[in-house]
Amino acid sequence: MEGFVTEDAIRIVGLEKRFKGFALEIPELSIPKGFTTALIGENGAGKTTLLNILAGVRLDYKGDVTFFGKYSGREEDPYVRNHVGFLGGDNYYMPHWTVEQVRSLNASLFEGFSAEKFDAYCRALDIGGAGGGRKPVRSLSSGNKVKLMLAGVLARDTNLLLLDEPASPLDPLMREALCNMIREYIDAGAGERTVLLSSHNVSDMENVTDYALIMEKGRIVEQGFVTDLKEKYILIKGDPEGADAARKVLMTMSSSSYGYEGLCRAEDLDRLAGLNVETEVPSLTAICVGIMQQYSSLKALQDIARM
Amino acid sequence: MKLLQNSGVPIYQQIADQFKTQILEGKFQQGEYLPSIRGLAKDLKISVITTMKAYELLAEEGLVTAVQGKGFYVNAQNSEMLQEQYMRKVEEALNQAIQVAGIAGLSDRELCEMLSTLLEMKDTEG
Repeated sequence: MEGFVTEDAIRIVGLEKRFKGFALEIPELSIPKGFTTALIGENGAGKTTLLNILAGVRLDYKGDVTFFGKYSGREEDPYVRNHVGFLGGDNYYMPHWTVEQVRSLNASLFEGFSAEKFDAYCRALDIGGAGGGRKPVRSLSSGNKVKLMLAGVLARDTNLLLLDEPASPLDPLMREALCNMIREYIDAGAGERTVLLSSHNVSDMENVTDYALIMEKGRIVEQGFVTDLKEKYILIKGDPEGADAARKVLMTMSSSSYGYEGLCRAEDLDRLAGLNVETEVPSLTAICVGIMQQYSSLKALQDIARM
Repeated sequence: MKLLQNSGVPIYQQIADQFKTQILEGKFQQGEYLPSIRGLAKDLKISVITTMKAYELLAEEGLVTAVQGKGFYVNAQNSEMLQEQYMRKVEEALNQAIQVAGIAGLSDRELCEMLSTLLEMKDTEG
């Protein structure tokens, strides 16, 4: 939002990671401290690669990452290790470890880990069920694996959580609980705690997302506080007669014989003058879909269906 | 606080309006802090930036003042200022009614009678 200054929880400069046929390139990026940022993008956009780099899982990259305004991501600084929590991938905990082993490993790896808190989370989230702490990780459902990782990071004394697709394996009830846990985490930090999560189900996380990063093919194509993005873009709905004229102005548009709907940049709204349209404040999902459609290779799908 | 998801009024506006009413009704004392933006977001199950935007709206209207790192406190003389704002709105609406009455060919007396009738109806409805 204009008018207020935010500090950076993470600052990225000149980040580059190349694979065969894919490159992650982020010339400059700041993640605001004290907020929840969502990394949104199609499968393969580079979300996991970016999170792995930030979490220190990957070190084979070019560029600089700074945490909390002073710590470099390259140096194995104990402060960063202890204050950053990472939840990612299916194999974060080894499959043969038991819940009890996960607890004792966390306790020996991280300062500030509270075994009591971990046990309380395990009970509240019903991880392991009747088997209790002796269940091996591999026997847990993917939803329970995420819960176990959540219990692990939330039982620590962190200032930054990096969560890779936390909502995907969870049922609707647990997704709601996840959003509440994130809000509680942020609130308890009184402005010092930050969450960066990735998601391809934007709508699940809409009510917890403060800042959005939209990623396409290894690049950040749009970013901003959600309130600002909702002023930058406008959802337009109109009658079929105006469709051809509107197509020239709208960023993306879907139409049928009953009318059309599309996303428009606020500054282009004047160019729709004369057309009979309804305007609406778009949801974050609508904004993301509109922006992603511009870059997506899925455009031709409709044409194939008509072949 | 009641928030409607699909009312067409942005959530931040709904929050700002409800605090505005509460401040005018004297439910917040001068100098009293509003709930913290992150605490309110947690309680209302919405994003932090939404509550922040609501508070900034109240600050723009001069109802509250932001203190870096501490939050937003309620200003003095709000209720007078708000009262004045509402008075202006009432005047505006009445002026509009007078204008429309003119177009419809209503006499001043008929207009006054209509207002009295409407007020009576409101009173009996309670």
